[in-house]
Amino acid sequence: MNEKKKLNLTLKIWRQKGPGDAGRFVECKAENISPDASFLEMLDVVNEGLVKRGEEAIAFDSDCREGICGMCSLVINGKPHGPELGTATCQLHMRTFQDGDTITVEPFRAKAFPPVKDLVVDRSAFDRIVAAGGFVSVNTGNPQDANSILIGHAVAEKAMDAAACIGCGACVAACPNASAMLFVAAKVSHLALLPQGQPERMRRVAQMRAQMDAEGFGNCSNEYACEAACPKEISVRAIARLNREYLKASLCSEE
Amino acid sequence: MKHSCKFLHSSIGKKFTVGAAGVLLCLFLVFHLSGNMLLFVGESQFNAFANTLDTNPLIPAAEIILAAIFFAHVVVSLWLRWQNKQARPVGYADYRAKGGRTAGSRTMTWTALLVLAFLIIHVKAFRFGGRDGGMYHLVLSSLSNPYMAGFYLLALAGLALHLSHGVQSAFQTFGLNHPKYMPAVKALGWAFALIICGGFAVIPIWALIKGGL
Repeated sequence: MNEKKKLNLTLKIWRQKGPGDAGRFVECKAENISPDASFLEMLDVVNEGLVKRGEEAIAFDSDCREGICGMCSLVINGKPHGPELGTATCQLHMRTFQDGDTITVEPFRAKAFPPVKDLVVDRSAFDRIVAAGGFVSVNTGNPQDANSILIGHAVAEKAMDAAACIGCGACVAACPNASAMLFVAAKVSHLALLPQGQPERMRRVAQMRAQMDAEGFGNCSNEYACEAACPKEISVRAIARLNREYLKASLCSEE
Repeated sequence: MKHSCKFLHSSIGKKFTVGAAGVLLCLFLVFHLSGNMLLFVGESQFNAFANTLDTNPLIPAAEIILAAIFFAHVVVSLWLRWQNKQARPVGYADYRAKGGRTAGSRTMTWTALLVLAFLIIHVKAFRFGGRDGGMYHLVLSSLSNPYMAGFYLLALAGLALHLSHGVQSAFQTFGLNHPKYMPAVKALGWAFALIICGGFAVIPIWALIKGGL
């Protein structure tokens, strides 16, 4: 097997000691990087070098590293999760870049995502939005028969498209207004489309909307940068559904 | 009352207000342009139309409603924009997010300011200005000035750009986005912008030519 040419890159990377620190860009070299490495593996290599030299490693978030947990983040060369469409940072391969490239790496920036350290931001605002209504209440007991509630294929597909949201926050990072509408829209859509979501449908959208506003996210201006950045390619049609659902809940809810 | 306040205060409700006010302003543009087209029917017909508007006691009430709609559109937009600025206190060094961002969507605030500046000049001249010699004469004398005509054309280009994003954006805000119809809605936004602004643009060009440019 042929040895692929290794990459030597320059990273212009955001370093910030903690929430109180102003933060700044620091240049560092990423040398001898395999083109088959993921972006996070490249950062691991850089961190190994830093630690060996007695310097502090670059803090960044990651968990499953297979694109399903929503933990990785990063704005790479001005785009959340980097230049590839429909991929999370962990699925971004270094072969996307050319030898000698300079890559800018920044954290997701939003008031509702306060910085923790370096490239790590606190995305628990999303957890609070889900806790406000992004769930269904079910009675405990024996599991019911698998096919007792029939759902049409087209509806199930639509609900699944929305449920694909991994809550990474790339939509907020990409939005010129740091709006969380695509995230909330995905969570509201996925439950509003299914029979299990009906009992709490109106209360859910009202409470999730209220929590979203309380967290300090911006307002949607229909520029659809979110859709382009979403690693799960969730459509802005979900946002139209959120608008409809909220209007309906505001008009019809008796609460 | 409490419920409608809550709705109008929410992020989605504020956008709804901007969209609804925008649609009403678009309707006004259609009526305004229809009236203006009487310029090409004849001087006496246009002056008679202007005179009917001037003497109709319901017009001041309609003007107050129109001003209120315009005020709501501007103030709520500015409120949203201010909140959007607050939502990202530290900006990106490198920002290349694209998606559906268009020339129109990027410049909404700037085209709005241009149209606002235009409206101040336009309303001062044509609503509160003197009408000696008739409205037809006032239109011709004001717009045969190349600087004035140029400013009108610039403002109309700004309005066209504003509408190119605004019209389709209002549909999305009202929750009307369907894969079958959205391409047509986007085309409709552009068509409306070009027909309305093109229609208005004919007037300063006509005045320039008639005024012996």
